Amino acid sequence: MNYSPFTDWLIQNGISKQTLELLVAITIVATIVSIFRYLFGTRSYGIYAPIILAIAYSYTGLKYGLSITLVVILISLISYSVLRKIRMHYITRIAINYCLLTIGLIAFVIVIKKYGLGLENISNVPALALISIAALSDFFIKQFVQKSLKTSMTTLVSTVVVASVGWFIITRDYISDYVINNLWIIVALIVVNLLIGQFKGLRLKDFLRFRSVVKEKDENPKK
Amino acid sequence: MRIQRSKYKDILGLNRRNQEYVRPYNSPSAKRLADNKIRTKKALAKEGIKTPEVYKLIRNKQQLKFLDWNSLPKSFVIKPNQGTGGNGILVFYGKKKGEDGWIRPNGTVMSVNDIILHIENILDGRFSMGNKKDIAIIEERVRTDSLLKQYSYKGVPDIRVICFNGVPIMAMTRIPTKRSDGTANLHSGAICVGIDIATGITTHAMQMNTSALLSDIYEEIEMTQDLRENKPLRGIHIPNWDNILEIALKCQRVSKLGYIGVDIALDADHGPIVFELNARPGLGIQVANKAGLRWRLEKVKDVEVESIKRGIRLAKSIFGGEVEESIEEISGRKVVNINEKILVYQKEKDKKGREKKEYARAFMDTGVLTSRISETFANRIGFLTTTRYFNNLEMPKKFDSLKDAQEYIDKHEKRLTLEDGIKRVAKIVDDGGIKIRPVIEIKVKISGEEKEIEVVILEDSEYHLVLGRGELKGYLIDTSKTFKN
Repeated sequence: MNYSPFTDWLIQNGISKQTLELLVAITIVATIVSIFRYLFGTRSYGIYAPIILAIAYSYTGLKYGLSITLVVILISLISYSVLRKIRMHYITRIAINYCLLTIGLIAFVIVIKKYGLGLENISNVPALALISIAALSDFFIKQFVQKSLKTSMTTLVSTVVVASVGWFIITRDYISDYVINNLWIIVALIVVNLLIGQFKGLRLKDFLRFRSVVKEKDENPKK
Repeated sequence: MRIQRSKYKDILGLNRRNQEYVRPYNSPSAKRLADNKIRTKKALAKEGIKTPEVYKLIRNKQQLKFLDWNSLPKSFVIKPNQGTGGNGILVFYGKKKGEDGWIRPNGTVMSVNDIILHIENILDGRFSMGNKKDIAIIEERVRTDSLLKQYSYKGVPDIRVICFNGVPIMAMTRIPTKRSDGTANLHSGAICVGIDIATGITTHAMQMNTSALLSDIYEEIEMTQDLRENKPLRGIHIPNWDNILEIALKCQRVSKLGYIGVDIALDADHGPIVFELNARPGLGIQVANKAGLRWRLEKVKDVEVESIKRGIRLAKSIFGGEVEESIEEISGRKVVNINEKILVYQKEKDKKGREKKEYARAFMDTGVLTSRISETFANRIGFLTTTRYFNNLEMPKKFDSLKDAQEYIDKHEKRLTLEDGIKRVAKIVDDGGIKIRPVIEIKVKISGEEKEIEVVILEDSEYHLVLGRGELKGYLIDTSKTFKN
């Protein structure tokens, strides 16, 4: 493949194409997260979780990624509901949760190997991607404990949605090829974030949330 | 669609709240004070503002181990010092007889072991911002004032007042329900009820939709739920209202938070007690009041408010008045002031076909049946030819009796009503005599409602328009307001 002179120079000087692709992916997903947060009003588990998740999905494929996510959350839910009844320190509880999660994931892979369930290629999923998805458990439980199951669930769903959008964009070859050869886009993303950072208008979610306030005003125009 | 959008302009969203209000007006040190309940208590105590009395502070596991449970009063509350959003708060009503446990508001018993576990979790920072190590506070349980108690399912209703720049901006009360398990947390299903700043009377009651995906969508409700006797939530008169506003503004002064939400509970014995100061108060209050925060904040942004009293006066005069419309909704009747400015439509549309309007100084007079319009004003809205025609008619200026007048009308009716604008003629008792005057039809807007009414043209008086009994059917007349010329 032909690279632009600058990209070519970078690759000649020790940055592998894969590293470059991943670093660029981070900037793109990070921007997607900020767009979702400040323009749409979707809450995610910080910015780290959706970035890691999107990149992990790009290694596993969306189908495998989502099913692993589902399994991770189910196991965490079950293990945490048992563990919360036992009196112990917080971190030890999370540690045990990870132990159970490991057992659960091993069992999951074995079951899939045996029965298929449309996920026959599970053994080819890179281990690092699997672990990255498993780390979601920590975020999930922290919110569950601090706020409520409901809040944590909604945040989880929006995190996965944002990550999936991120996955879609970073796995399009024409997008990643274009960005790699046009690295000024990273500067453009900085500008985009600067602009979003100044944005004071209503988020999409605000429009939904305050619909009833505006409706009322229509009925009482004199206010 | 364009009209809709302009109304969203009144609403404060999260982006603007953070950028224009929280960040510039709330310094990091002030925020730290508000986020720390113990420091808040100390600072408020210096100014003589009451907060729940602290029984015990537990700073580490050593202190927890040596806590003498028997030294605690019958009922108490356990709170994390730096908790957020009401998480980690446990309320106990009394000790279970013969058992090592305490009774929770929902009737269940929590064993001392479980309580110790909960406190350990607080110390570990499970409920604090950023999971920092925290302190557990064991404090007095507020006994809700009997008035608000009737509306609440267990728990303690609180009153949230948002203040900005020394002016109370908006207020609501949060009422615990069965669904919220006795907490005043809106996300768990507590009811929020808007409060009219001027009067302390509640306006609209809203509750969050139950389904998880729509967690931020509210529904309007009328009555309390799951109580032995359910009551309407509108029109509750919050006691000590001015005192509550004053306390909220004092809290703002002490905390140095320019934009603040103050949570106040009404204790049966001690009156208003401050629960918490909030440096990033939520925006749901706009839903409860069916009004936007943004325009209110902008109104007082550049005002210099020298005193607490002035701040309250200002708020009352600018933001009050929500209650009138509430009365309309309760009684099904509109409220009109005895003197009111009323929109009157011109007889003819302008060249582009748009309707033109004039403001009329109107007086509500239940002493007369037919409404009246002053001649000059009738001319102004396009009846010049009508008045001129009628004034040029040859007819007696006065009649001695109604009977004479009626006879005259019967005889000359056709001639009197020849002009297009004249609907009919009416006999009017005016200045001690009986006159025949022309009746025209005009279009007006009263209390937001457009209608066509018949009015008699009379000589000029103090008012452009006098609305009589005929047009006032179904309205309540408020005699407390007069024009400020």
